[in-house]
Amino acid sequence: MLRSGGLNAGPSDLLGARRRGSVRLAGAVAAAITALAVMGRSSDPASKPLPATVTVGAAIALTGNANLYGQDQRVGLALAQQWFASTAHPRPMLLQLEDGASDEPSAIAAFNLLIRRGVIALIGPTLSQQAFAADPIAQRQGVPVVAPSNTAQGIPQIGSFISRVSAQSSVIAPLSLDEALERDPKISRVAVFFAQDDAFSTAETAIFQKALAQRGLSPVSVQRTQLADNDFQNPITAALQQKPQLVVISAQAVDGGNLIRQLRELGYRGQIVVGNGLNTPNIYPICQRWCDGVLIAQAYSPDLNTPINQTFRRLFQDANGNSTPGQITAQAWTAYQVLFEALQRLQERGGMDGVTLGEARRLLMKELLAGHYNTPLGPIHFRPDGEVVQGRFYVAEVTMQANGRDGRFRLVRSIDVNTDAGGSTP
Amino acid sequence: MTAALLQILLNGAASGGVYALVALGYTLIFSVLGVINFAQGALFSLGGYFTFLLMGGRIGVNGALPGWHLPVALPFWMALLLAAIGAGVVALLVERVAFAPLRRRGADPLLSLITSLGAGVVLVNLLQILMGAEGYAFPAGAAALAGLPEALFIGGARIRTVQVVLLLISALAVAALTLWLGRSRTGQAMRAVAEDPTAARLMGINSGAIIRLAFLLSGMLAGLGGGLIGLSVSLAGPYFGISFGLKGLAVLVLGGLGSVPGAIAGGLLMGLAEALIPSEASGWRDALAFAVLFAVLVLRPSGLLGRRLLEKV
Repeated sequence: MLRSGGLNAGPSDLLGARRRGSVRLAGAVAAAITALAVMGRSSDPASKPLPATVTVGAAIALTGNANLYGQDQRVGLALAQQWFASTAHPRPMLLQLEDGASDEPSAIAAFNLLIRRGVIALIGPTLSQQAFAADPIAQRQGVPVVAPSNTAQGIPQIGSFISRVSAQSSVIAPLSLDEALERDPKISRVAVFFAQDDAFSTAETAIFQKALAQRGLSPVSVQRTQLADNDFQNPITAALQQKPQLVVISAQAVDGGNLIRQLRELGYRGQIVVGNGLNTPNIYPICQRWCDGVLIAQAYSPDLNTPINQTFRRLFQDANGNSTPGQITAQAWTAYQVLFEALQRLQERGGMDGVTLGEARRLLMKELLAGHYNTPLGPIHFRPDGEVVQGRFYVAEVTMQANGRDGRFRLVRSIDVNTDAGGSTP
Repeated sequence: MTAALLQILLNGAASGGVYALVALGYTLIFSVLGVINFAQGALFSLGGYFTFLLMGGRIGVNGALPGWHLPVALPFWMALLLAAIGAGVVALLVERVAFAPLRRRGADPLLSLITSLGAGVVLVNLLQILMGAEGYAFPAGAAALAGLPEALFIGGARIRTVQVVLLLISALAVAALTLWLGRSRTGQAMRAVAEDPTAARLMGINSGAIIRLAFLLSGMLAGLGGGLIGLSVSLAGPYFGISFGLKGLAVLVLGGLGSVPGAIAGGLLMGLAEALIPSEASGWRDALAFAVLFAVLVLRPSGLLGRRLLEKV
């Protein structure tokens, strides 16, 4: 068996040749990596100078299950853009909308796309579940995020670039329970419904159930539903057999709206308290006249008598045929407003002269957290971790018109809450 | 105790009736062509949206023409009938596009599963573009049932009136279909095509026309189901029919492929299985209902009332 011939190189020569080959290969790989890094850096918008007109990206749910909220947010953002563009301001700010749909991959894709296009900050995504997936991407790239509607616990704690204007549900949710118990102190039998395949609803029902326990009430029935459910005959009749005097629902708009309607149709006449997922006028056409009397705690009241809220209401009514704006629309306006005002303050101080986009993002985040804002939600500011500090919340009751198609969240009472330290004591 | 049992039976019958209606659409096509029309769920959605528009419903902000509505606002029953016919016509179109070309070329029937699935996806996407992704409730809600009470209380158990109506219409549709298949000449011709298409053709039966008729009827059944469900629980986006379609498919297998009485029995059993699940385990409803399906198929692979297929050698 011939292993090597006279003309073949010896073992030591082979080893040397292999080493030389390896060194060349390593050199080529290193050069390629360096070239890619240089190219990548030069194509990274963060390393480029800040353009004269900056753009804020909004990734909201325009399609999918959460699109009902996304549509409300689109209206709020458009109105805010229209209003603030008409005020005197040293630095123009554009808004770019991207559909973040209702799932995590779509939110991630929308965030990536907007970041690559060089936005200075992001508004969104619509759902807390999406935020847990998409926010880390913005955090890694140093892009400020203002969440307009994420109320689950732990959102601002994702990172130093993440903030929200939507107060967490642990603060708001129990307020409507107090209203129901004040109306009927004899309530002792409570049925709880929640959408078990929705992260927000499962988190919110835990808050509701804890609040019920603190008030000495133990649910007589806990019914698990799913977001895609539309026929609730089984869970409702099971719950009604326990003769509840109060029903507490954590679900989203379509399934929750259907649940309310079927509860009433099946003869339940007691009080209904719902969570933030139903905090949209879009429930009116779903549960129609059966929405009447539903209690909900809110971070916004259209009845708040401040100049900025009056402006917001007027613009909304001009654009939407005299209807009343909801919380999600107001929070979207607020998300735009805080970014706009922080940007203008920064510009007025000359803090954005000659900086790169990456540096401008960092400065904007710092300025955002330092500011105080008069918004349609009332006066707000941020904790250093990006959590919103809002002093006043509201309990509203859905009041439907005689046609059973249109309605409003009628203010029942406003409550001062100290959220500065994350507390929830009224 | 009796009231609780009655409640379970009523709950089971209410959802089982809908499942049976969906499964019947599959059954008609399967018995004639030996294939499953995966576009059935999309036709179910279409029926709901047609009814909504015919009742004067407006397209939402997400749709292609926000605020647009038909110049008519028909009463529910008329809208439902027209919507069923509309869904039947679309089913004919599905047959032309997704089934007929493959049949002409003698392609493997399995391929039509894919083409019908494609047709269904296209239909649902078209719906999403035109109507948007939002949910819709019928303009008049259950008030469309003209003065009937919202719920009925029977022996301590309760059921929504709209579900009773749904159950009655499902039963009526099933009875009419069974009678028509058994007694009428066209129905007998359809059974002959289902039994042996070649022999039926040799006997002078126009099998092409019978196939088209089967698609028209199955589309109408789907449209009827979609409209009734829309009235009962609103339209939760263009994909709402797909989930009913999947459940109907399970019922089809459970009852026995191609068997009309099997579709009814399967639907009722599936509904009852779901209703039997205690409230504490309500999150397991779908899983347990499908476990019943597995159990039945293990014991009886041809389904509850399906015939065992004999292979000729």
